[in-house]
Amino acid sequence: MTWTIDEWFVVALARTIRPRETVFHGFGSPCAQVAMHVARRTHARDMLLVEGATYAINPDPPFIPPTSNDDSLRQGAAYSMRFEEFFDAAIRGDVDRMFLSGGQIDGYGNTNVTAIGPAGRPKVKLGGGGGGCNLSATIGHLTVWTTRHRSGRTLVRDCDFVTDMGHRTRLGTRAELGFTGGGPQWLVTELGVFDYRQGQARLVQTFPDVSVAEVRAATGFALQVAGDLRTVPPPSASELAAVRSVDPLGVRTSEFSAKELARVFESRAFDQGHGQDCAC
Amino acid sequence: MSLFPPADKRASLADAAALVIDGAMVALGGGLSARLPMALVRELVRQRRSGLHLVGSAHSIDVDMLVGAGAVRRCEESYVGFEQDFGLAPAYRRAAEDAAIEVAESCCATILAQLRAAEMGLPFLPVRGVRGSDIVRLHPEYAEVTCPFTGETLVAVPPLRPDVALLHAPSGDRYGNLHLEQPYVLDERFASASRMVVATVDELVSTEQVTAAGVTIPGHLVAAVAHVPFGAHPASCYPRYAYDRSHLREYVAAAQSGPEGLDKYLAAYVQDSEESYRGAIGPDRLSLLAAWSRSTDAWQELFSRAGDSA
Repeated sequence: MTWTIDEWFVVALARTIRPRETVFHGFGSPCAQVAMHVARRTHARDMLLVEGATYAINPDPPFIPPTSNDDSLRQGAAYSMRFEEFFDAAIRGDVDRMFLSGGQIDGYGNTNVTAIGPAGRPKVKLGGGGGGCNLSATIGHLTVWTTRHRSGRTLVRDCDFVTDMGHRTRLGTRAELGFTGGGPQWLVTELGVFDYRQGQARLVQTFPDVSVAEVRAATGFALQVAGDLRTVPPPSASELAAVRSVDPLGVRTSEFSAKELARVFESRAFDQGHGQDCAC
Repeated sequence: MSLFPPADKRASLADAAALVIDGAMVALGGGLSARLPMALVRELVRQRRSGLHLVGSAHSIDVDMLVGAGAVRRCEESYVGFEQDFGLAPAYRRAAEDAAIEVAESCCATILAQLRAAEMGLPFLPVRGVRGSDIVRLHPEYAEVTCPFTGETLVAVPPLRPDVALLHAPSGDRYGNLHLEQPYVLDERFASASRMVVATVDELVSTEQVTAAGVTIPGHLVAAVAHVPFGAHPASCYPRYAYDRSHLREYVAAAQSGPEGLDKYLAAYVQDSEESYRGAIGPDRLSLLAAWSRSTDAWQELFSRAGDSA
C-alpha cells in the first residue's frame, strides 16, 4: 500500500476529531474540509459536521469543490444552518472543534491571516480571518494546521499581527481575557504533530522522513519535544479509501508545494484495520 | 428612513446602480464564489463610482474588481481572496500594500453583531471574542464594556447601517420580493440593517410564483430591482448556474499581471454593457454552467483542475 503526504496529512487532521463532536471548518481550508468527511466515514461516524461556508449539517458531497461555498457541499444534508445560527451556536459554546490555519503561527497557537509586515503598510496583505477572532475565543477546541512549516516562515516566534487568539496574547491568557473555549489542542504540519502543554506547542509526532533537526530548523519558536516522540501512525486502508473517495478532484493538494507532494510512503503489510480511533 | 411601500420597483441596471452614490457605505451580498451581485458591481465600474466604503463577510472578485477599478476608499470585510484555489486577491492586495485603500478588516461574527444592533436600533451590542486580537487595532470605534450582571469585560461594537445593500437573487417580482436559496450568508441581515436594498434578479416572476418559492427578502426593504440574466456570473446562483471557475482563473491572472492587465480585462468584459458581457462569456459557456445538474460528472467537470496549466 502506498500513499502520499497530502493523504497522510489529511488523515492526521481527521484523527484530531473525537466521536460525537460538533466540528466546523472555515473557508479556504480544503485539507480540513476533506479531513472532516474522512473522520465522519471512519472513526467519528456520529459526529455533527458543519460544512464550511454553506453551514450544511452532515452533508454527503459527491466531491469537494475548489470553493467552500458551492451547492455540492449541501448535497444530502437535510438542513443548512443560517449564517447567524452557526455563529450563535459557536459563540454560546455549542461547537466543539474548529480547524484554523495561518500564514504565521506562534508557539501559543496565535495565528496571523491578516498581514505580513506592518498592518498599515503590509509587505503582504493576506486574505483575512473570516470569523476566527470571535470563534477562537469560544469554540471548544482548535485544531491548527499548516502545510508550509518547512518554509521556516510559518511557525514564528511572534506573529506580525494576531488575527485569531491562541493560548496567550500580548493582553494575557485565555482565562484573563474571559474566553470560554479551550484554545488550540493540536497543531498538525507537513513535518509532524504538536500538542499544547501549558499552552505551548510541543512536538509529539513526526513523519518518518523528517528529523527533529529539520523540524527545529523550520520552527521560529523554541522547539519543545515530547520525551516519547513517535512517528505519525500510518493511515489505514479504510482511511485512505475515505480520503480518495471524498476528494476525487484532489483539492487537498492545493495546500502543498509540488516538492512536498512528491513525498510517497509505503507499508509492506496491507493494513485492513479500521484505523486509529483518534489522536487524543 | 421608513420602509418602502408597495410599488413597481423595476428599474434598468443603470438606474438601479445610480442609487449608489459616491462615498456610500455599500454592503455586498452573497459570499466567496456564490451569489455575488456582480452585474451591479460591473455597472458601478461602468459608472465610475468612487470613494465607496465596502462592507461584507467573505468576498472575492466583487471587492477585488471594485478596488482595482478605483471605486473604493475603505474595505471592511472578514476576508477578500480566492481561497486556496487562486489565492490572494490581486488588486485588493496591491491597494492594501500601497495604502491606497483603508483596510478595516473585520470578523464575520462582529459584523453580524453590528448589523443586529442596527436592525434593533441599539447603540451597541457586546461580543465575547476579539479581545487580544490585533483586529481591535483596526477599529478605534470598538470599546470595552463591563456586563452589569456578571462583571465580565466584553467588547462593545457599534451599529453598522450601510447606505445600500446590493443583493442578487435567482428570482423576484416587480415589487422587490426576492427569493433566495441557501446559503443566504448575510443577505437577510444586510437587507434589514441597510437603508435600502438594490437588487438584481436572474428572472422576474409573478408575485404568485415568488410567494410559492418563498420570499426571503420582502419588497418593503427593496428600493429597486433590475432584471439581469446571469447577474451573479462568474459567481454561482444555484439552482440556476454553478460558478465559473475558469473565468475566475482568467480574472485572477489578469489582475495579477498588474493594473494594465486588469484594465484590459475590464475593457474586454465590463466597460460596455451586460449584454456584451454575456456575449463575451459566450452562450455555450453559460449554458454549460446552467446544466450543472445534468450529472455529478458534468458538475464535477466544471471544477476540474486538469486544464489549469494551460
